[in-house]
Amino acid sequence: MVFSFELFGQAVVTGILIGGIFALISVGLSLIWGVMRIINFAHGEFLMIAMYIAYFLVAKGGWDPYLTILITAPALFLIGIIIFQVTIRPIIKDPPINQIMLTVGLSLILQNLALVFLKADVLTANTAYTRMNFYLGGVVVRGSQLIAFVGSALAAFILYWILQKTDIGRAIRAASQNRDAATLVGINVRSTYLLAFGLGSASLGVAASLMIPFYYTSPTVGLFFGLIAYVVVVLGGLGNFIGTLVAGLIIGLTESIGASLLPGSLARVLTFGIFIFVLLLRPQGIFGGKQK
Amino acid sequence: MKIQIKKSTILIGLLLIVGFILPRFAGEYYIHISVLVLFYAYMAVSWNILGGYAGQHSLGHALFMGIGAYTSTYLFTVIGLTPWIGMWLGGAFAGVIGGFVGYLCFRYGVKGPYFALVTIALAEAAVYIVTNIPSIGGAQGLEVAWTGNAPQLMQFDGKSGYYYMILVMTIIAVWLSSWLIKRRFGYQLLSIRENEDAAEALGVNTLRLKIQATVISAVMTALGGTFFAQYFTYINPRAVFGEGPSVQILLFAIIGGIGTVWGPVVGALVLIPIAELSRGWLGGTFAGAQILLYGTVLVLTMLFMPNGILGLYHKFLGKFQNRQSDGGKSEAL
Amino acid sequence: MSLLEVSNLRRDFGGLTAVHDLTFSVEPGEIVGLIGPNGAGKTTTFAMLSGFITPTSGEILFKGTSINKLKPHQVCLLGLTRTFQIVQPFPDMTVLENVMIGAYTHHPNTVDAKKKAMEVLERINLAHKAEEQGKILTLPELKRLEIGKALATEPSLLLLDEVAAGLKDVEMEEILELVRQLNREGITFLIVEHLMKVIMNLSHRVIVLDFGQMIGQGTPAEISKNPAVLAAYLGKED
Ligand SMILES: Nc1ncnc2c1ncn2[C@@H]1O[C@H](COP(=O)(O)OP(=O)(O)O)[C@@H](O)[C@H]1O
Ligand SMILES: [Mg+2]
Repeated sequence: MVFSFELFGQAVVTGILIGGIFALISVGLSLIWGVMRIINFAHGEFLMIAMYIAYFLVAKGGWDPYLTILITAPALFLIGIIIFQVTIRPIIKDPPINQIMLTVGLSLILQNLALVFLKADVLTANTAYTRMNFYLGGVVVRGSQLIAFVGSALAAFILYWILQKTDIGRAIRAASQNRDAATLVGINVRSTYLLAFGLGSASLGVAASLMIPFYYTSPTVGLFFGLIAYVVVVLGGLGNFIGTLVAGLIIGLTESIGASLLPGSLARVLTFGIFIFVLLLRPQGIFGGKQK
Repeated sequence: MKIQIKKSTILIGLLLIVGFILPRFAGEYYIHISVLVLFYAYMAVSWNILGGYAGQHSLGHALFMGIGAYTSTYLFTVIGLTPWIGMWLGGAFAGVIGGFVGYLCFRYGVKGPYFALVTIALAEAAVYIVTNIPSIGGAQGLEVAWTGNAPQLMQFDGKSGYYYMILVMTIIAVWLSSWLIKRRFGYQLLSIRENEDAAEALGVNTLRLKIQATVISAVMTALGGTFFAQYFTYINPRAVFGEGPSVQILLFAIIGGIGTVWGPVVGALVLIPIAELSRGWLGGTFAGAQILLYGTVLVLTMLFMPNGILGLYHKFLGKFQNRQSDGGKSEAL
Repeated sequence: MSLLEVSNLRRDFGGLTAVHDLTFSVEPGEIVGLIGPNGAGKTTTFAMLSGFITPTSGEILFKGTSINKLKPHQVCLLGLTRTFQIVQPFPDMTVLENVMIGAYTHHPNTVDAKKKAMEVLERINLAHKAEEQGKILTLPELKRLEIGKALATEPSLLLLDEVAAGLKDVEMEEILELVRQLNREGITFLIVEHLMKVIMNLSHRVIVLDFGQMIGQGTPAEISKNPAVLAAYLGKED
């Protein structure tokens, strides 16, 4: 493969832009995982649902993709808290394997519901933003990806602000640091869990709307993004907000630079290699985070 | 415990008798369903040694199934080596990989959900690695060429040959699993699952035992992988290394009763016929309906019978016995 | 030769030194009490002696062998076993199986291990609960089970961490009597205990820790008169 400066520049630009989306998707998982110590193995499938909602609004309803955030974010918040209330709350004190299997079961249900009712077709929304490109020398900057990057940064910032500056956020952080102490000072841990789950899911709604102009949707699209989110959260350090953002960029860059250097889809192996390495040697992530 | 031993012997005996006469009466379709039941029971029993007994929940066990399937099939297609030998080479390969993975994870203290994540990552990495090696079929996978009825090449005319093969494998696996659990090795695995620090303090070499359990489980799973390839005559990276097979390997153990000898068998015995028959009724129209059913059963199981079918059974049994022996002496809880 | 010789033992946790420069020894047949206010480093010392954490520096000799770098199961095999401050049963195994895990250390065969475990259950007065699950036991029973599991490994030195804490007088007396009895049969004890009553009652010799250092040792009578000890420890007792 011929390697050129342009090719590398392209990989870096794409990597950073995609990395922003990875970060937003992962921040939601990190919030849920960090607060209630449950890995939601259906996280990717939540994103998939949001992408279908966004897709249908755009393709069938003629909505502007970015306006669909008004629907996807609240819808995912609602779906998140309903699923939490019905399935996750009852097993919050069960052994980890039961919690894992429950969310794995949820992911199977959501994925295959989509397969049964929406078929396996890969759907791509064609929007005004889809072909909006800029050129920096020989490097193409896709407008839709740039918007997604900025939007992700904004959404992540809003989530950060909610967690740092509002009472709700403080309660969530307190509950995640010490459940018993939080209960003692009068925080209703159960409703903070509910909120954290809702917020973590809502961030996926935003991510889906931002992605729909340049990313296809299909019943299995969540698989890939779910895995990416586990990698990013572990790399950034569980519950470490800034770490998660940086890790999102690192994985975005790994994927795109890897793809330009390695044949076929071997870049993915690089991503998992980093993941395994971090899990073995620095389980608290490269930027520190909660001990496991 | 004594009762358990006798029960195992009786149940294995029953399985033998029913198992061996079944093909005389059942049609091909029912033999096919029986093959699936036995195959998944076998895989779940294999997973259960690591996941159930030792409590190390691998969510990427397809890694070992894939190694077994690919090793024997590659050797068969390229140098014509009989899968009867290829199967053991695959098992050995999986055992080495399992030992290495186990050593790395447990040496560095990877536990609980983090172990699950490492195993998922390894299996996924395997999908992409195999996909990118054209000489072993790449994304297309490998086909097992049909050579006619050739038992010496693990190919049988009709389904009964495969049926007897997987029946024997399952019986051996269940026997091995029930034998292991009533000796020091098995009890020590349980103690690791129950409380690793306490086990270590009492002289249990937890690192070595967890690695051994990984190796045994990996080898057994890989042998099943060869059977899978021979029976379905076609494998590709997603079908044997993917998250689908990883989940199906452990699903029946969880639903039947994790960490018990018979749970994995019961889970497969109850669930697979339902899933297969309902697929027959629905026709091929609903791709995904079967996995949808598995997912639903899994969620309902976790919500309403967290210890699986056998757990529920023992709970009723336990309540009954308690009432008989000591009135209502449950205030100890 | 002393059974246990600890010299210049030190353990840091980040910036905090939990144990520093600790030197003492335990002779065969003794019951040695290790006391000190909360946070003095008692549990950390136990964790180092039993192989759960490695010392930052210093040396631990058990029966003349250095055990600094050994894993807990190796230390156990040499004859040094610990119990935990917070009881650690195997909840979903029967009481008999709980003890069998210890017994397997020297009896690889299940029949022998079961026999040994039954003997131990008789000793700790839990034989009638042999077939019950670990998780249904009461606290006094769990405390006895904790000793039973360790006993089944046939230790020559047994480390007990707060084995009487949370017990009523009668239950406590039962455990203390068991310890005395076992000691007469040749087992050496190093015990950490918060309750002065227990320490004074049981130990032949007492070692006092404060801020990770030994600030005094002697017979219970001497210790209760040592001014440094009184200042550091007894003054803070509630
Ligand atoms: N794993 C650890 N990490 C950090 N600090 C620790 C750890 N274990 C103990 N410590 C600290 O070391 C000191 C001694 O603790 P410990 O040995 O538990 O005391 P004791 O058992 O005498 O009450 C305490 O200040 C405690 O906070
Ligand atoms: Mg202590």
